[in-house]
Amino acid sequence: MIEVIGVKKYYGTTATGLENESVAISKGEIVGILGENGSGKTTLLKAIMGLCELNEGKVLIEGKPVKKMYGKMAFITCEGSFFPWMKPLEYGEFLSNTVPGFDMDKYTRFLKYFELDMKQKIKNFSHGQKTKLEIAAGLCRGAEYILMDEPFTGKDMFTRRDFLKLMISSLKGNETILIATHLADEIENFIDRVIILRHGRIRADLQMDEIRMSDRDLKSVLMEITGYREDNYKRIFTMRQ
Amino acid sequence: MIDFTRLNLNNKEPVYVQIASFVKKQILAGSAKSGEELPSRRELAALLGINPNTVQKAYRLMEEEGYVRTLSNSGSIIYTDEKILSAVGNEFTKELVAHFVKAAKDINMTFKQTIDLISEVWDEI
Repeated sequence: MIEVIGVKKYYGTTATGLENESVAISKGEIVGILGENGSGKTTLLKAIMGLCELNEGKVLIEGKPVKKMYGKMAFITCEGSFFPWMKPLEYGEFLSNTVPGFDMDKYTRFLKYFELDMKQKIKNFSHGQKTKLEIAAGLCRGAEYILMDEPFTGKDMFTRRDFLKLMISSLKGNETILIATHLADEIENFIDRVIILRHGRIRADLQMDEIRMSDRDLKSVLMEITGYREDNYKRIFTMRQ
Repeated sequence: MIDFTRLNLNNKEPVYVQIASFVKKQILAGSAKSGEELPSRRELAALLGINPNTVQKAYRLMEEEGYVRTLSNSGSIIYTDEKILSAVGNEFTKELVAHFVKAAKDINMTFKQTIDLISEVWDEI
């Protein structure tokens, strides 16, 4: 169980990250965190991972502060959490020595599957290759809480699908997963629940089955919340200079 | 083995309901026979790109509806007898006709027009 309790996070003095938000996520749930750029998706994940200082509020994992739960958590981010000067296998060895549940065998399989060059230092990898390495490392930690920030970035449609399948086959079944993304289509069938953020606030928190039973889909719910209008682009022609 | 790659998920119905309907259709079409094994929950989840909890939910629904049985840990199989077949058949055909009747009513067709048209098309196909 992840409990976010009254979390408030500002960047600088006024830029809002999150505005006094609370949410609880049960064990085993797979949750999509959606919203436009700047809506607070990454801030929410970082707050849960304890990677940013909060202005107010707290986060508890199984009732304990995050710092005591790192062994059970994985954070997969497009920013990368690896050491750039290491080669992929050196990084794997580092993880084996520091993360109790790390599965080195699975990690090397992932590296081979992704066709990553073992002789290169990670810093010389392309953006796409770095993401693959990040995913391999994240999914092999044996974590019970997996948080992903835009894991589909820089991948084409088929790679995105493969990635999802790969991830699903590597799950044990007890994992709690949070995926922050703006690609609703890719995760529509994968998530149990969706949390939609806008301007640092949680604007919707729905079960996917609930959305479907009410004859809607994820995209229409997103449009409703962001106030997206199909003819909005026409405003540019009528705006005053 | 049921070919689940032919299941195209829509975003209108809950995914677990779609899986159950698909299996029912295979049973009625005769391509899923009693005793046939279903893929493991994890396999099916990966194949369809959905989460294993959803597959679990679908299997539970199918067990409740009677045409899937799970034998301890050795996986799940299709189970049909005459009673189950006719129940599944009735439900499915009724749903099919209900869809059709609704579409006909939506465009203000009368009962007689509809029946006449059915007889006509019935002979053509």
